[in-house]
Formats: sequence, C-alpha cells, structure tokens
Amino acid sequence: MQWLVIFNKELLEHLRNFKWIWVPIVFILFAVMDPITTYYLPIILESVGGMPEGASIDIPSPPPAEAMMMSFNQLSVLGVLIAVVISMGMVSSELKSGVYELILSKPVSYIHYITAKYAAMSVLVSISLVISLIAGWYYVTLLFGDIAFSQLLVSAIFYVIWFLLVLSIVMMFNTMFRSQGLVAFISIIVILAINIITSIYSHVLTWSPALISDYIGIYLFSGNMETEMWMSVLISVILMVVALTIAITTLKNRAIE
Amino acid sequence: MALLAAEKLTKTYNHTNVVDEINFTLNQGKCVALLGPNGAGKTTTLRMLAGFIKPSGGSIDFSEKELSKDVRAHVGYLPQFPVFHNWMSGEEFLIYVGRISHLSKEDAKKRADELLQLVNLYDQKKLRISKYSGGMKQRLGIAQALIHRPKLIILDEPVSALDPIGRREVLNLIRELKKDATILFSTHILNDAEEVSEEILLLHHGKMIKQGSLEDVRDAQETVSIHLAFTQEPKYIEEKLREMESIFQVERLEGIIKVSVHDLPQARKQILSIVQEEEWELSKFEVATSSLEDVFMKAVQE
Amino acid sequence: MDETIFQLILPIVGLQLILIVIALIDLKRIEETQGPKWMWALIIIFGNLIGPILYFVIGRRP
Repeated sequence: MQWLVIFNKELLEHLRNFKWIWVPIVFILFAVMDPITTYYLPIILESVGGMPEGASIDIPSPPPAEAMMMSFNQLSVLGVLIAVVISMGMVSSELKSGVYELILSKPVSYIHYITAKYAAMSVLVSISLVISLIAGWYYVTLLFGDIAFSQLLVSAIFYVIWFLLVLSIVMMFNTMFRSQGLVAFISIIVILAINIITSIYSHVLTWSPALISDYIGIYLFSGNMETEMWMSVLISVILMVVALTIAITTLKNRAIE
Repeated sequence: MALLAAEKLTKTYNHTNVVDEINFTLNQGKCVALLGPNGAGKTTTLRMLAGFIKPSGGSIDFSEKELSKDVRAHVGYLPQFPVFHNWMSGEEFLIYVGRISHLSKEDAKKRADELLQLVNLYDQKKLRISKYSGGMKQRLGIAQALIHRPKLIILDEPVSALDPIGRREVLNLIRELKKDATILFSTHILNDAEEVSEEILLLHHGKMIKQGSLEDVRDAQETVSIHLAFTQEPKYIEEKLREMESIFQVERLEGIIKVSVHDLPQARKQILSIVQEEEWELSKFEVATSSLEDVFMKAVQE
Repeated sequence: MDETIFQLILPIVGLQLILIVIALIDLKRIEETQGPKWMWALIIIFGNLIGPILYFVIGRRP
C-alpha cells in the first residue's frame, strides 16, 4: 500500500516533468538514426556529388539482423547515458534539497522508499526501450528485410534486463553522494569498467551482464538462444538485488545519524 | 501525565557532547518550549526525538510501550528549513504524506482538507508549492507534521525565519494546536516561548540548565525589577538609587530606569519616600514580573 | 523514391518537433532554470536533438 503510494507519486512526477514524453522520443530517435542513415548513405553521397563520372557507389546493404543491431548498439551507448542522467537524482536530489526530512520523518519503510522509486524509473526506461526498439524494427524491416516481430520482442525483453542493472547501480550511488553529477560520473565509470573488463576477458566472463547485447546479436542472426544468456540474466538479477540492498542500508544509515 | 521521558540523553560528535546527559519529561497536552542560544543543541535534541539521530547514550521512553516501536508513526516533525516536492500542490503534498503515513485514501483527503483550513491555506490548496511564500510554506510544514494525528508535535524554530505577520500567524496556530496534542518547539526568541508555552526547557552548551513550568521558572528568580520614568529626570538619580540597601542593580533602558531589587516592599517604600522628599517628577512606577529574558540571561551567565 | 523518403523521414522530423515544442512549453512554464531562459530557448531551438535533451537534463534543474 505504502509502496504503491510512493510508486504512483514517482510516476506522476515523471509525467509532470515530461520524462514520459521526452525519454521515449529520444530513445526512438536513437534507435532509428543508424539504420536510416546507413540506408540512405549511397543517396546522400550521390547528392553531395564529387564522384568521378561513371563511378557507381556500391555499398552492400547489410542483412536485417545487422541493421537491427545498429539500433541496439546505439542504445547501449546513448540510451545508457540517458538512463543514467535521468536517474542520477532519484534519491540524491532529495538528500541534498532536504525533502527527505519531511518524507522520512513519516513512518516510511526504507525498503519501500528505494524499491518504489527504482521500480517507477524502471517502468519508464523499460517502456521507452521497448517502444524505441519496435520503432527501430519497423524501419529495419521496411528498409533491409524481415525480422520476426516475436524475435525482436524477446530480444527487447532481455535487453531491458541490462538496463535494470544499470539503474540499480545508479540507485546505489544515489544513496552515497549528494551531488547528482558525481552520481552520474561514478555510475558511468563503473558501467564502462564492466564493459571493458567483459570485452577483454569475454571468453572467461561468459556470464557477464554486459554480454547480453552480444547474445541478442547471435539470437537475431541465428535464431538460437545461447545458454550463457540465461547465466548473464541470472547474474544481472543477483547484482541488482545486491545493489538495491546496499542502497537501502546506506540510506538507512545516512538518514539516521 | 507524562508522554515521554528522556534520561541522560547524550549525543557526541567528534568527542564533544553536543547534547550532554539531559533529563526531561514531556507532559501530555502541554506546550513546551526548548529554549537556548544558537548552537545549544536544540536541533540535535529534537532530531533524536523524531527518530532521525541515534542517541550516543541515554534513553527516550514513551509511557505507552507500543509507541517506541517506530516513533515516527506518533511524532510529527517540522524541520527548521522544510523543503517540499515543489511540483506538487499543497493539497497533493498533504495527501501524499498522509498516505505514506498509512492513512486511507479517503481519510488522507479528509485530513488534508481539515488541515488546509486550520492553517489557512484552503484557498491556495491547488496552487503549486513552488509558488508559496515563506510563511505559507511554514504553515504547510505544520500541516504536514499533523497529518497522521501524532501524539507529539516537534517544531524546530517554527517562527524564527518569518516576518512579523507570518510569526503571528504561526504562534496563533500553535496556540490552537495545544488543545489536542503535546507540542515541543525550539526557539531562541524568548518572547515566543513566553507567549505560547506552559513549560520551558532551557538548554545551554548541550546541558539542561533550567526546566519547569513558566511560573515556576519565573518565581525561582529571587529578584524583581521596578521600572521608573520621570517627566524630568532628577540629577544623580542612579547614584542615589544605588545607595539604597534594598536595590542591587540599576540599569538605564530606553526611556526608563530599571531597578532590580531583593525586597520589593522595602524598596517600594524607600523609592517612594525619596521621590516625595526630593520632589522628583515621577511619571511611571511599575513593578515588572521578571521576564523570561532575565531568567535566561542569568542562567546563561552562571 | 523521393516520396518514400518523405514517408520515412517525416515521422522522425515530427518527433524532433514535438521534442522541441515540449521543451519550449516547459521552459515557458517553469519558474527558474539553470542560467538565463533565453539562452535555453536558443539551445532548444538550434541544438538539434541535443538541445532539448540538455534542457531537460541540466536546464530544468533548480
């Protein structure tokens, strides 16, 4: 009950400050940008001119799965960045401004406070992601050829899990620092570190959450789901729970000096 | 009847006792002023009672055992500088804090309405809090502290940041609240304490240096002061007054002469007789009950 | 060919426009921004996709 009250209030806040409009739009633009520019590259080059007489531009059109991965890859960088900056103040801004004094002087469970905020942000980001991937898929099928919608949907759901992990990391740092900039900065460093370490030791860390998008690529190309994908999902969920637990205990210790 | 008792309550930061083994009880239905100069440890004490700070030592015990589980359910707290969700309207905010305090939807709505009327914000209830003035925010802050019908209301410096009109409004409000709850409010302004509280706790350097009902604390003063004014002030009046054995201090305040005395009847006789003898043009003779300020200054100096 | 380009590009231009309009509406309503309002109006209008994003992330913070 209390959880739902906080959750609804968060959703309303995201609506009032237009996050429910601009985040999905920005995600859609990220997702369709690369497939479209790739498709029109030859035409753009032609219209720019400067090509020698008789030279024909022959850039092979990528297969649909590759074009679809362009959407995912764009979101993996810019989408993650947006997810971090829209959640960098979830708790830290309330600690800094002092609103928490009014809220936490009421009999509010710290678990409810953290998880309801996290859930509301997760709903916003997940829905934005799914919508944007559907938009990307729409353009890819139109311009490059068919991908089964069900396949895209399954990929999107797995992809959301990576973002949920990112948000839980941001939440953890939210309870540790009052400066939103610092929260964003450290979160990005940590996410970058996970990505880099994973790419260096990818043969060992086959269960790394950062490999989810790679497994989605394999799934889109071949239609086969790697078993490692499930390990990555499991590890993601475990890390999420750990990050949120740390967030809850940190907040409790900070609120009660 | 006592609502809560604090015993040897202590908070230590960096080896200094910000609050140093203070004992006090809060009686049900009383308005208690926590007085003290800035830095006396008032906010720390209040935050310990509100459950925001863990005491380093000592205890806070509610007389009803079940209250001690989560004190926040029974305590309404207004911090010195309340900050709200400014994107909400006053009404939305009250309903929100009501619902996170486990009120039902209907009850929260009803309670918010009552409180908006009580704090005189009913006409602005749909207005976003970002558009509220300082006084309006302070009143909204009091309303949010009351939303879950707390047994104890803790207000940290509720009037010190307000202009005279806002101050008057909030003091009247506190007088209104006394009817059905116990109030503990901190202030460094003595007049405020004198105006609305029945009991005072006087804190200085983290120590409780005086406590009791307003009358008790005043009566404990063994000195009384007499205010004198003259249409034309006689020469050497201060010296002449100082010669009297019943008078131990003569001060010149704006327009009056304040005489502190040990023995009022004797001093009155002596002063009036010298007035007659020397034909002083006395225009005012007033026996002042010792103000809290006297008590305060004396206690702090000791 | 030209026609399909328009059909494909139009929704994207439309979304960008919505983004700009929403940012401008919010800018008009909001009490204070980080830095002067006219500066944000310029950033939103001429900042392409980045403009409105910057406004929502940085500009609207009190």
